[in-house]
Amino acid sequence: MDFFHAHQAQHYLVLAAMLFALGAAGVVLRRNAIIVLMSIELMLNAVNLTFLAFSRFPLVPNSPMGSFLTGHAAVFFVIATAAAEASVGLAIIIAVFRSRTSVNVDEFDTLKL
Amino acid sequence: MAEAILFYLFAIGALVAGAQVIFRRNPIYGALSLVGALFFLSGIYVLLAAHLIAILQIIVYAGAVMVLFVFVIMLLNLKEEELGEQRITAWKGIGLAAVVASFGVIAWRALGPAFPQGALMQGDRRVDNALLVAGFGGVKTVGRILYLASILPFEVTSLLLLVAVVAAVVVAKGRI
Amino acid sequence: MNYDPNDLYGVLPALILSAGALLLLTSEVFLRNVKPAVLGPAPGPAEAAQRELPPGADAKPQAAPAPPDRRYQAWVAAAFAAAALWAALSRLGDPAVPLFSGAAVSDGFGRVVAAVVCAALLFSCIVAFSYLESLRATRGEFYALALFSAAGMCLLAQATDLIVIFISLEVMSLAVYALCAYLRRGKRPAEAAFKYFILGSFASAIFLYGAALAFGATGSTRLADVAAALRSGGPSGASALLYAAVALLASGFAFKVAAVPFHMWVPDVYDGAPAPVTGFMAAGVKAAAFATLVRILVSGFGDASTGPRGWRALVIWLALLTMLFGNLLAIPQRSVKRMLAYSAIAHAGYLLVAVASMASASPRADATQGLLFYLASYAATVIGAFGVVAIIERRLALSGAGDDLSSWSGLSDRHPGLAAAMSLFMVSLAGVPPTAGFMAKLTVFRAAIEAGLAPLAIFGVLTSVAGLYYYLRVVVYVYMYPSAKGEPVQGGRLLSAGLAIAGCALIVLWMGIQPGTFASLTQSAANAFGR
Repeated sequence: MDFFHAHQAQHYLVLAAMLFALGAAGVVLRRNAIIVLMSIELMLNAVNLTFLAFSRFPLVPNSPMGSFLTGHAAVFFVIATAAAEASVGLAIIIAVFRSRTSVNVDEFDTLKL
Repeated sequence: MAEAILFYLFAIGALVAGAQVIFRRNPIYGALSLVGALFFLSGIYVLLAAHLIAILQIIVYAGAVMVLFVFVIMLLNLKEEELGEQRITAWKGIGLAAVVASFGVIAWRALGPAFPQGALMQGDRRVDNALLVAGFGGVKTVGRILYLASILPFEVTSLLLLVAVVAAVVVAKGRI
Repeated sequence: MNYDPNDLYGVLPALILSAGALLLLTSEVFLRNVKPAVLGPAPGPAEAAQRELPPGADAKPQAAPAPPDRRYQAWVAAAFAAAALWAALSRLGDPAVPLFSGAAVSDGFGRVVAAVVCAALLFSCIVAFSYLESLRATRGEFYALALFSAAGMCLLAQATDLIVIFISLEVMSLAVYALCAYLRRGKRPAEAAFKYFILGSFASAIFLYGAALAFGATGSTRLADVAAALRSGGPSGASALLYAAVALLASGFAFKVAAVPFHMWVPDVYDGAPAPVTGFMAAGVKAAAFATLVRILVSGFGDASTGPRGWRALVIWLALLTMLFGNLLAIPQRSVKRMLAYSAIAHAGYLLVAVASMASASPRADATQGLLFYLASYAATVIGAFGVVAIIERRLALSGAGDDLSSWSGLSDRHPGLAAAMSLFMVSLAGVPPTAGFMAKLTVFRAAIEAGLAPLAIFGVLTSVAGLYYYLRVVVYVYMYPSAKGEPVQGGRLLSAGLAIAGCALIVLWMGIQPGTFASLTQSAANAFGR
């Protein structure tokens, strides 16, 4: 068995962890509101990948919930939630932009840290 | 072998596109890179036998959600000078270090050793979930789970979408 | 696996609240502007367009149509909150029933938290009524969003499946983000909502990653299956995954309950949001988030609580940091709203002490009761306090002044009732007898000593003594300082806010003098996590 097939599940899981860390780094580093929002979308996608990898390569022989496809159902709900989150987030960005013409979070100085 | 090649292709594509999302200065490039990342991830989902989710990823995520992003970026129509300076502060450095360290630890200590033999073995048979269940990841099997076992989250999701519509309308209103 | 219609009775409070929100949203459609005597423009969308125009730019010189009378909305919302409160209380003593094949549960713990949330909503609606009316900002969406968020909180307190928890959390959070940005006077509300949104979504994503790891380790997202996997040991790779999962799940909720070091958003959001919303947020979001945190930690990961890698040590450290920094950072604040925000952080620390005492099985019942008593007393106190802040704030909003302690000076001359209520709330937050805050701290610290966490309890007492300074400073300003300017507080519509504040004050006193009555209510909840 080659390296990929010997460690197939880890490949997917580590890729998901890297994407999640990338998204989290985007939230921490970037101050452009829209890019921060897109970084959060990236994090949610990494979670989806983790769910799918675990339903394809389960650790336990049988799922207590009857089927490992509950992971797919979870991804379905996460996609719907991400869409809802994105719509509200973009509406808030528009509201912020209306009250001041910047989307740079560092310039949001009315509220001090 | 083809699976390995496709995986590495899609994985590198997703990582490069993801890096583009967070390092590009102009959000429109970021949004288009994110669309690319979503497509690469959709390919990976197919490798994981998640056919329905892979299609949803393209139709709903890359198709609908990202159009909303691009639409808002165009609506705001940021000029070059409005993008602002990128400041690097000590706090950001600490935050980045914390993120990298925690996910490094998770990947190294939890995800890596999770599958001691690479995949789960029952006796000397390698358990491959996709081969065990007929129609794994298709509309019928996922739909059955969605409407029977997950009825509560399904109903709460409908509430969530309604809340999101009302919230977006309230927030984007001109003045209250 | 099959769907049983009877399960819907278990989530009745959430259903009532959602129905109320839908009714309010629908009623907006039938509202018409009150037409002036002259032929006015067509009612409806034209009204919005007309209000956008600056005065003088109006092409038609007739009187602008008056906005429709929306005063009924607060009372409809309050009625639905009361109905949901009744639904939660009426089944208080019933045995626990699993709902929707284990995705949720209807037990005493969830019912008490739902009752606290609904009562908080009821009082907040009445406080918001006079606030929004005097700012002419009443819209049906405000109360609808408040009801939706309360529905999310009730579901959150009942959920026993990580995916249901995540979706209910989002229902609650999205509605609260919108409520924060609801009033757009100046830049602050939108920026506060943005900050809250980004950090809240970030926390949700972290929580969700933890849920994915728990799914990987156990093949299930149900808390009961996680507990079973922990008990049986599971496959070899699972334990590390579960430790990572509990760390991620707990840090996701540490954001929501405002524990240090995940507290950065709290002062800005509490400061930027309208005061009635802040009160509801402090009471409701905190109650729901703590209930969920406890449910995840105790009924999901109860077997991984103690020991070198258990979550108890994590929670103890969070509690120590939160009590210390919450109280220290509150001391220099001169804005009462920001002071209350840091005080909310400090109170999260005391609540975390109760969570830490729930780690071991023997004091768990007492600690559960202490936690619920604390949540209820904090809810009553903080809604009353923000009710008084709302009255002050709306005067400031109309006069354009900033929020500072000096605007509180001489309140006792102008409004002796408000001054007395505010002093009572401050004394209760500080934890001085005979108020609810004292009894709450007493029960929590007693449970902590029972659980062998005496140093933590002593530290809690010391930090609450430090807290006396900034709470009593408000009382000093209210009573000792003369009124800076002889301006009258805007009269009118104080009655309903006064009603809510008086109600909160009575509850605070009642819970302080007769704690046994409330303790008997939480009796059914005490054994929710017993074996």
